[in-house]
Amino acid sequence: MERPKQKQVSQSENETDAAINGHFDGRVKMPGWRAGGAAGDPSTVPSSSVMESWREERTRSLEDNEMSLPSIAAAYTTILRGLGEDPQRQGLLKTPWRAATAMQFFTKGYQEKIIDVLNDAIFDEDHDEMVIVKDIDMFSMCEHHLVPIFGRVHIGYLPNKRVLGLSKLARIVEIYSRRLQVQERLTKQIAVAITEALQPAGVGVVVEATHMCMVMRGVQKMNSKTVTSTMLGVFREDPKTRDEFLTLIRS
Amino acid sequence: MEYQKAAELNGLCNGKIVTEYLCRNGFSELSVDTKKVAVQHKNETSRKEAEDESRLPALEAAYTTILRGLGENTDRQGLLKTPLRAAKAMQFLTKGYHETIYDVLNDAIFDEDHEELVIVKDIDMFSLCEHHLVPFFGKVHIGYLPSKKVVGLSKLARIVEIYSRRLQVQERLTKQIAMAISEALQPVGVAVVIEAAHMCMVMRGVQKMNSRTVTSAMLGVFREDPKAREEFLALTKSA
Repeated sequence: MERPKQKQVSQSENETDAAINGHFDGRVKMPGWRAGGAAGDPSTVPSSSVMESWREERTRSLEDNEMSLPSIAAAYTTILRGLGEDPQRQGLLKTPWRAATAMQFFTKGYQEKIIDVLNDAIFDEDHDEMVIVKDIDMFSMCEHHLVPIFGRVHIGYLPNKRVLGLSKLARIVEIYSRRLQVQERLTKQIAVAITEALQPAGVGVVVEATHMCMVMRGVQKMNSKTVTSTMLGVFREDPKTRDEFLTLIRS
Repeated sequence: MEYQKAAELNGLCNGKIVTEYLCRNGFSELSVDTKKVAVQHKNETSRKEAEDESRLPALEAAYTTILRGLGENTDRQGLLKTPLRAAKAMQFLTKGYHETIYDVLNDAIFDEDHEELVIVKDIDMFSLCEHHLVPFFGKVHIGYLPSKKVVGLSKLARIVEIYSRRLQVQERLTKQIAMAISEALQPVGVAVVIEAAHMCMVMRGVQKMNSRTVTSAMLGVFREDPKAREEFLALTKSA
């Protein structure tokens, strides 16, 4: 696996680089779990920098947005000309600004921090059955082609004395999906964020999406869907729990 | 008058068609002032395939600026080649600019004594919203009543491709498809219906997931005769 090596190198160089796209690979130490949840991965990440990284994900502010808007708009004007269009025609006059604002909206996950969204909505509740929120509509951008990805996210977790406000699960999805993403990473980031926030007995996340980069261009397969999943804790270890989760999201 | 403008704008390669377009019965609203169109055509730059390669570096640089402006780190592994890939993707998504109707159609028009409705429906369509540069996609249903000339069926889908792979507005796209078929075949009537989802409404802005936009263009007998229109709409309705 290339990614863990890459992480260690970058972590030694520069602490901020440790979070790629706000990502921290999910080697998190959890109470009662076996260390190194990924199969047989012996190296461990110092949990303090991992714990901090998910709290310090914001790389952009509203002021940054305003300041970079002119240069992004100018870049879009270049693109329009480069495609052979006439940026002065009526329909395209304001397009660079609209497209720049739209792109900033599609990557607004960089402006938000998990901790802002979650801190107040964690409740102590004596509930130890599975909680599932399914069919959460998700819209993201493919980081390789800058073309939309959209689909649904299903999240389930087994609480351990602490439950989370339900809409906060959808907000976590929003924060991580509104970025330049790779579906595998998105799935993992959602799962690890919930794990870090709640320390539940287990978390399962399934993302099912259509990639416009495959549908609109390239191989052009209209009906193909990509499904990725991350199972942590008891969802990974106990097949029955996992089965229950997968059955419930399918119905 | 607006139809006239619609034919000129974003019709980089159908300037040729429009200059030859004349008033026809049932099409009188779509008459075009040929002098005006010729002038417009001179000012538009057409894009040929060979030029695509030469324009890539400028597009790449623009995409790199965009990525940095969004706060991303352009040196990370996943984004290293993204400007190039995104530039090529964008060129593919706007490849309709350097395709002409005549290239696609000229050989596949046949004399056939058929006077019943011909429909090709559920043609998948992918286009780019010219206001936000975000995709919109859906299905196109095309029907025409031939007048001694029929066209190869896949050519209808190719006409859709040529006009949809551009920066578009759904209304204009519908009209351009209808007019291209009218011009090529001189049929008794043409009907085009497009039903699409606009990502600019779904992913951002008002964020309505399930909304669909439907536009139609009815020319000739489909405009004048309600029964013909009804037959077309009944046959294209999906169960």
